Amino acid sequence: MSERSVSVRNGEFHVDIHEGGSGDPILYLHGIAGLEWTPFLQQLSVGHTVIAPRTPGFGESTGTESLTDIHDLLYFYADLLDELDLGRLPIVGHSLGGMFAAELAAMQPRRFSHVALISPFGLWEGSDPVPDLFSISLSDLAEAMYADVKSEPAVAVSTAPQARMTEVDPSTSEGQDTLNYLVERAKSMSTAAKYLWPIPNRGLSKRLHRVTQPSQIIWGASDGIIPPTYAERFAASMPNAAVHVVPDAAHMVVDEKPDHVAGLIESLLAR
Amino acid sequence: MKIEMFHLCPYRDLPEDFREKNRSVWVDVPSHLFDAEIASRTYNETLDELKYAAEVGYDGICVNEHHQNAYGLMPSPNLMGSAMARETEDVAIIIMGNSIALYDPPIRVAEEFAMLDCISGGRLVAGFPVGSAMDTAYGYGANPALLRDKYAEAEELILKAWTEKEIFSFDGKYNQLRYVNIWPRPMQDPRPPVWVPGAGSIETWNHCIETGHLYAYLSYSGYKRGKQVMDGFWKVANAAGVDNPYHAGFLQLVCIADNEEELHEKYAAHTEYFFNKMLHVYPGFSDPPGYRTVDTIKAGLLAQTTTFGRASDHEATFDELRESGNVVAGTPEQVTEQLRSIAKDLRIGHLMLLNQFGSIPHELAKENIRRTAQEVVPNLRDMWSEYEDHWWPQNAIVRDATPAPTPAD
Repeated sequence: MSERSVSVRNGEFHVDIHEGGSGDPILYLHGIAGLEWTPFLQQLSVGHTVIAPRTPGFGESTGTESLTDIHDLLYFYADLLDELDLGRLPIVGHSLGGMFAAELAAMQPRRFSHVALISPFGLWEGSDPVPDLFSISLSDLAEAMYADVKSEPAVAVSTAPQARMTEVDPSTSEGQDTLNYLVERAKSMSTAAKYLWPIPNRGLSKRLHRVTQPSQIIWGASDGIIPPTYAERFAASMPNAAVHVVPDAAHMVVDEKPDHVAGLIESLLAR
Repeated sequence: MKIEMFHLCPYRDLPEDFREKNRSVWVDVPSHLFDAEIASRTYNETLDELKYAAEVGYDGICVNEHHQNAYGLMPSPNLMGSAMARETEDVAIIIMGNSIALYDPPIRVAEEFAMLDCISGGRLVAGFPVGSAMDTAYGYGANPALLRDKYAEAEELILKAWTEKEIFSFDGKYNQLRYVNIWPRPMQDPRPPVWVPGAGSIETWNHCIETGHLYAYLSYSGYKRGKQVMDGFWKVANAAGVDNPYHAGFLQLVCIADNEEELHEKYAAHTEYFFNKMLHVYPGFSDPPGYRTVDTIKAGLLAQTTTFGRASDHEATFDELRESGNVVAGTPEQVTEQLRSIAKDLRIGHLMLLNQFGSIPHELAKENIRRTAQEVVPNLRDMWSEYEDHWWPQNAIVRDATPAPTPAD
């Protein structure tokens, strides 16, 4: 895997790109937890070149101040893809990135050969609301994200420092680490809030019918961030979509069941 | 110094076990606890208490805006201000204020404040809060990540609507108006003074220094924590060559009695009601993403800006609250001395005092208002007489700073 930074619109954005593997390219848009080169991406990159940009506002990718709403974000991604000049390719998105992938595929359908949406945001049904991810406690968040709340990443979520903690001493290195963590979290969550607050619906239901490529909807059976009932709602608007609900997994299904999810995407690409 | 009475219009009759049975007084406070009869009494007593504060000698009266909560029942402080503009003759009407980022288009605020300024005959202070996280992000669904940006645009638009002589077009990021031409316009020339209530964020300090708006630190953490925040403000201010104490306001709970026994008997339970019930906010509603800026987090100001009221989980007692400076309680002499030392220490030219907090019965609230206004306030006015108050409404009263003999009841 290699990392590079790509300039978009003459430097208005600098975008970190993770790239690994060899073969035909796949575009991967990361979720609300941010971008890391995970076992899932490693698995996906066997036989493919996985290109994973980091959305502005996350990590070192810059330019989030130029983005106010979903339309700004989509035109940014269109410019980035022009810059990368990858041709027609499959798009895979998880969580927040799943919402972006669905929106991009609806906006520029001819750009993408296949669409895989993994636990995507973007739809809202008042009788089956998406929980308020921004106000829930860390222990509830861990449970919503991971089927096994005792797993290491789940414990890391439930025990993470909180911005409202009252004692942080910035003069110590431990205090600095905590502050750096809180700053990164504040940046990424407020970036997510631009597209999800207060209700994660920016009108995708009006456009989703345009996603007619071979598509795969993937959901963790115990996802508490977005209920798995949303899988069928997505599929209902997408004429060529199959649904697969993964058992013993929640919102972080890509990390919880990397081989399973990568296998589903392999099957999609064969369609 | 100017001393104003601040009123929150708190809901007075939450059940004894409110804290145990409910997670928050704000946002998702259960609606079955709301009783319109109690609210009716609360509003009318609040208006009476505000009017009374003006009559007994306060310099101004303050009301503020909150949504979906039992802590402060004024979603529209302008309605209260309108009644007060009619009911009072000379005091400053301080609307503290309207959360300008929430109004679409924000010229609604420019219009209503102009109305209030005209009705009151030029006695309005226009407060422009960003608004608490609970009010803005949760109550009104405002995107916390864009709130400050919207606030900045709303402020620009309102100030221009008040001061620009010609009809203009406004092509903003959040507001597009082909014809801006408000009727009425404010009576004060060029406009009412702007006060900005803040909770300790660096951006608000910088903003107040850059624009010349008054900075008011409104918190219930008391003067001990307030000192940290105001030191931060004055550091920024001094770097810009600003040292006028009238540039700053500070809120403080005050209660008065003749001795310790009377003080406890009259005010202990009500003070505890306020801190343990009125400030019982679910922490998940206090810090939505983007509400606090990265700069504020980086500066390590976590303690000052994250808790709306008290950081502690346990129920506080009256004595603890006095000890930590959350409430100033004592005889008129003790309270005068403490407030004088706070105003001096924090460099405060506008002291906003809360005499009615939570469950204080109407007659006792009036007693507290009267005793504060007559036995404390006159003995503080001489402070900062060497400075000029540029933040006072043009037609509001400026009372004699010489301590007056206490009038008969």
